[in-house]
Amino acid sequence: MTTTDLLAITPLIILSAASVVLLLVTAFYRNHKVIAVLALMGIALAFASLPMVSSEVSLPFTVTQLIILDGYALLYMGLLFAVSFVVILIAHGYLEKRQGNHEEFYILVLLATLGCAVLVASSHFASLFLGLEILSVSLYVLIAYLYTDERSIEAGLKYLVLAAVSSAFLLFGMALVYAELGTMEFTQMASHANAGNHSMLLLAGMGLMVVGIGFKLAVVPFHLWTPDVYEGAPAPVTAFVATASKGAVVALLMRYFATADSYAHSSLFQVFTVIAIASMFAGNLMALLQNNVKRILAYSSIAHLGYVLVAFIAFRADEMMAVTAVTFYLVAYSVTTLGAFGIITVLSPGDREADAIDDYRGLAWHRPWLAGIFTAVLLSLAGIPLTAGFVGKFYVVAAGVGSALWLLLVLLVVNSTIGLYYYLRIVVAMYRTPEDKAGEAATGLTAAESPTTPASLPLIGGVVLAGLTLLIVWLGVYPATLMRVIKVAVDTLV
Amino acid sequence: MLELLWLIPILPFIGFLVLVLIGTRLSRAGVAAIGVGSIGISAVVSLLCGFSFMSSPPPGDAFSQTLWTWMKVGSFAPGITFHLDALSLLMTLVVTVVGFLIHLYSTEYMNDEDGYSRFFAYMNLFVGSMLTLILADNLILLYLGWEGVGLCSYLLIGFWYKDPANGLAARKAFTITRVGDTAMALGLFLLFAHLRTLNIHGDGGILALAMSQWMEGSGLAIAAAALLLGGALGKSGQLPLQTWLPDAMAGPTPVSALIHAATMVTAGVYLIARTYVLFELAPAVQFAVALIGTITLFVAGCSALTQRDMKRILAYSTISQIGYMFLALGVGAWSAAMFHFMTHAFFKALLFLGAGVVILALHHEQDIFNMGGLRRALPLTSKTFIIGAAALAGFPFITAGFYSKDLILWKVWSAHQPWLYIVGLGGALLTALYSFRLVFIAFFGEAKSHVVKKPGACMKIPLTILAALAIIGGLIELPHAWGNWQPFSKFMESAFPLTASVEHGGHGKAAAELILQGIAVVVSVVGISLAYLFFLRKQIFVEGVAGSSVGVAVHRFWFAGWGFDWLYDKVFVQPVVWAARINKNDIIDFIYRLFAGIIQIFHFIFCLTQTGRVRWYAVGIAFGAVVIVAMVVLS
Repeated sequence: MTTTDLLAITPLIILSAASVVLLLVTAFYRNHKVIAVLALMGIALAFASLPMVSSEVSLPFTVTQLIILDGYALLYMGLLFAVSFVVILIAHGYLEKRQGNHEEFYILVLLATLGCAVLVASSHFASLFLGLEILSVSLYVLIAYLYTDERSIEAGLKYLVLAAVSSAFLLFGMALVYAELGTMEFTQMASHANAGNHSMLLLAGMGLMVVGIGFKLAVVPFHLWTPDVYEGAPAPVTAFVATASKGAVVALLMRYFATADSYAHSSLFQVFTVIAIASMFAGNLMALLQNNVKRILAYSSIAHLGYVLVAFIAFRADEMMAVTAVTFYLVAYSVTTLGAFGIITVLSPGDREADAIDDYRGLAWHRPWLAGIFTAVLLSLAGIPLTAGFVGKFYVVAAGVGSALWLLLVLLVVNSTIGLYYYLRIVVAMYRTPEDKAGEAATGLTAAESPTTPASLPLIGGVVLAGLTLLIVWLGVYPATLMRVIKVAVDTLV
Repeated sequence: MLELLWLIPILPFIGFLVLVLIGTRLSRAGVAAIGVGSIGISAVVSLLCGFSFMSSPPPGDAFSQTLWTWMKVGSFAPGITFHLDALSLLMTLVVTVVGFLIHLYSTEYMNDEDGYSRFFAYMNLFVGSMLTLILADNLILLYLGWEGVGLCSYLLIGFWYKDPANGLAARKAFTITRVGDTAMALGLFLLFAHLRTLNIHGDGGILALAMSQWMEGSGLAIAAAALLLGGALGKSGQLPLQTWLPDAMAGPTPVSALIHAATMVTAGVYLIARTYVLFELAPAVQFAVALIGTITLFVAGCSALTQRDMKRILAYSTISQIGYMFLALGVGAWSAAMFHFMTHAFFKALLFLGAGVVILALHHEQDIFNMGGLRRALPLTSKTFIIGAAALAGFPFITAGFYSKDLILWKVWSAHQPWLYIVGLGGALLTALYSFRLVFIAFFGEAKSHVVKKPGACMKIPLTILAALAIIGGLIELPHAWGNWQPFSKFMESAFPLTASVEHGGHGKAAAELILQGIAVVVSVVGISLAYLFFLRKQIFVEGVAGSSVGVAVHRFWFAGWGFDWLYDKVFVQPVVWAARINKNDIIDFIYRLFAGIIQIFHFIFCLTQTGRVRWYAVGIAFGAVVIVAMVVLS
C-alpha cells in the first residue's frame, strides 16, 4: 500500500473512521443530536473528499486487485453519500419521536453506506462479497431497529434469513466461476468471455450469481420479501433499502458486465429479459389495489427495477447509452423515492407509521404544501412530464429504442399505464374532501387533531422535502446538467 | 399618434384585470370609474388615432403595429399585430364610442344589482376582445377575439345566473354560435393548408394570395368562403343559426345594447367584409350571403311584428337589420354594409337603452301591452326612442337609417337583383310597421303602469348623444343623385383595394335612383301610417285579423320565430338526447372495463404469492435459481 493508494480510498477510510468515532462517542456520551450531527459530518466529509480524489489521483486507479476508483465509482459514491445524508436528516426527527436508544442507528447507516461504497468500487469477487455483507449485516439490524415493534422484528428476521440464502447462492456462483476461470478479478474474466468460453460451469455460476444480485434488487422471483420488509422497517431505513442499497448493486452489476465483458453470454440477457418483464408486471399488478402506501412503494420499486433492467438489457447494443440511462434513472428514482419516504416519515406519529392510504385522505385540505410535494413525488414515480421520473423513463425508452427492444418497450408502456392507476389513487385520496371520511368524523376527531397527522412539520424534514421537490422539478425541466456529469463519469467505465 | 394604436385594445383588458383582481374590494364609484374610464380613454385614443389617420393617411391607407410574435413554428409565425385601415377604424370608433356611452349608462342601470364589479369586468373584457377581433392583423388573433367575445356574450347573458332560464339562454347562445365557430375554424384550417399563412393583409396575406392563386368560382374558394360564412352566420344571428339571439335578451339590457345589437353580432358582417376577396372569388357563396340576408330580414321582420316583449321585438329587429347588411355584402356593396352597420349601431343601441329606461321605470316590466302612455311620464326617453324608431323605420330625409338603408336598396337594384330588392323593400315596410307598433303601443295611448323610477343624468346623456348620432350620422353619405357628397364610401373604399369591379352606384342613372328613393320614402311613410292606423286608432282591425283562425295560426307561427326552435329541438336536440340516454353506459367503456377487469384478476392472482411465510419466499428464490440455471445452461 502506497500513500497514493490510501489517498485514493480516502472516502472509504473516512466512513470507517467516522463509524469508529461514533462508536466511541456513543460509549462515553449518549446524545442523539450530537451523534446525528457527527454522522452528518462524517458523510459530508466523505462527500467532500470525492473531488479531492478525482483531482489528486490519476483515474482510473486500482488499489490492490480489489478496489478500483474511477469517475464511475466516484459518481455513484456521491449519489450514495447524498442519499445517506438525506436519510440521516429525516431519520433524526423520526427517531426523536420514538423510545429507545437512537445513537447506534447512525453508526449502522454509516456502515451500510460504507458497504455500498465498497460495492460500487469493487473489481474483484472478494471485495464484492465483502461490500455486500457489510451492507447486509448493517441492514439486518437497521430493519429490526424498532425492536419493540413486532412488524419491525419480523421484517428484520425475514430479511436476515432470505439474504443469507441468497448470499449462499451468490457465493456458490462465484465459486463455480472461479473454478472454471481460475480468477476472481473482473478484468481477467474479460479475456475468457471474449475467447468464447461458454462452458456450462461458467454459465451456471453466473446464473447463480444473478440470484444473489436479483435478491438485492428485489426483482421477480426474488422479490417476495420486499413488501413485508418495506412495511415493517422504519420509514428512513426503507428509504435506504429502496435507494442506496439497490443503486449500489445496480452499479456493481453494470461494472461487472462492462469490465468482465459478460455481455458476450447472450443467454444471460435472455434471463434478464424474462426477469424484467416479470418484474414490471408483478410489481404493477400487485400494487394495484394495495391499501398500504409503504407496500405500494415496495411493489412500485419492483416495477421500477424492471424498467431499469430494460435499459440494462440495451447494454449489449450501446453500452454508453444504457449506462447513462440507468444511472440517470437511478438518480431520479432515488430523489423521488427519498421524497416519498420522507413524506411518510414526517407524517408518522411516534407510535406507528403513517402508511395506510386513509392517512392521506384529505391531506390537501389541511396540509396543502405537503400534499403538493407528495403529488409531485407520485407524478414523478408515474413518469409524468416535467418531473425527474419522466426524463428518467425517457432515457430508458431511448436506450431501448436504440437497441430495438420492441417487446420490452411495449410492455414498459403498458406497465406505465397500469402504474398510473395506483399512484393516482393516492393523489385522489389526498384531494378528497375530508368530509368523505364521514365515519371517522363522527367520532369527533377533526383532521387537525387526529393522531395520524402531527401538528407541525419538523423544520428539517420540511426543508429536505422542499429541496427534494425542487430537485425533482429541476431534473424534470433541465436534465442536461446532470446528464453531462453522468456522461463524463460513465465514460471511464465503458 | 398612430403609434398609440396598441393602447386601444389593451386599456379595456387592463380594466378587466383590475376589476377581476380587486374589484370586489372597491366601492361602486371606484368600479364605475375603472370600468367606464378604461373604455373612455380607449375611445379618446381611438378618436385621436382616427383623426390622425384621416388627416394624414399612412402609406397604403393602412397602418400595422406588431407588439410581439406569438409563436414561431417553421414559416408559421402569427404576430400579435394590430392593423388599422378604414374598415377597422370605423369599427373601432363605433365600438369604443358606443361602448363608452353604454358603459356610462350601465353605471346607473346596474346600480341596484349585485355583482357590480363582475358586470364591468365582463363588459371590459368584451370590449377588449371585440377590439382584438377588429384590429387583428391575422385570422388567428381575430379568432382569439372572436372566441373572446363569444365567451363574454355567454357570461353576460347568464349574468343573473340565479335564474336557471338565464343560464339556459346563455348555453343556447354559446352552443349555437359554436356551430358557426366550428365551421369558421375549419375555414381557417383550409386557408392555412392551402395558402400557408393566416395573415390577412399585404402581399403575403391570404387576400392577395387567394387573388393570385385561386380561380374565380374554384372549389377551394367556394369551400373557404362558405366555411367563413358559417362562422359569420352563427355570430350575427342569421338564418339558420339565428335562434339564440332572441333568447340572449335574458342578459341585462346594456348587454343587449352593446353585444347583441351594436357590436358583437355585427362581427359576422365584419368578417365577411374583412375577407371580401374570398367572397368575390366565390360568386355562388356571395349570392348565398345576399339570399340568406334577404330571407332573414323578412323572416325576422315578421316575427318582430308579433312579439309582446319589448326586448324581443328589438332582438328580431336586430336580426332583420343585420340581414340588410348581409344583403349589401352579398351584392358587393361593402361600404354600404358598413354604413348601415354604423347607423344601426347608433339607433339600435339608442333603442335598447331607451327600452332599458322603460323596463327599469316599470319595475322590470317588458310586455308592451302592459305599458302605454309613457310619453308623458318619460318625456326625454320617449323623444329619443321615437328618434331611434324613426331611424330604424328609415323615416325619410332626417334620419340616418333612411340614408343607409336606401343606399343598400339602391345597390341591390343596381346589382340587377330585382327580387331581392322587392323583398328588401317589403322588409322595409315591415320594419316601419313593427317599430312604430312598438312606439304607439308603449309610448302612446292609455297609461297602464305606474312609472317608479326616472332616469338620471348617466342614462340621459348617452340617450341624447345617441339620438343626435342617429340623426346626423347619415349625413356623411348622401345619395349620388343629390350631388357629389360621399366621403364615407370614398374613405371605405381604401379598405377594399382588391375589389374586382368598383361600382360607383350607377352614375348617370340619377333618375332611376330618385324614383327608387321615392318608393322607399313612400314605403316608410306608409308603414308608419299603417302602424298609426292599426295600433293606435283602429285596434279592432288588427284584433280581427289576428283573431281569425288563419291569423291565429300565422301569429303563433311568427311569434315562435317561424318554428325554428321547434324544428331544431326535434331534429337535433331530441335525437342527441335520445342517443345519449340509450348509450348511458357507454358501449366503448365496456372495452376498457374489460381491460380493467382482466388486470384486476391478475392482481389477485399475483397477490396469492404474497403469503408472508419465509419458507415460501425461500422456495421462490430456489425456484428462481433453478429456472435461471436451466435457462442459461440449456439454451
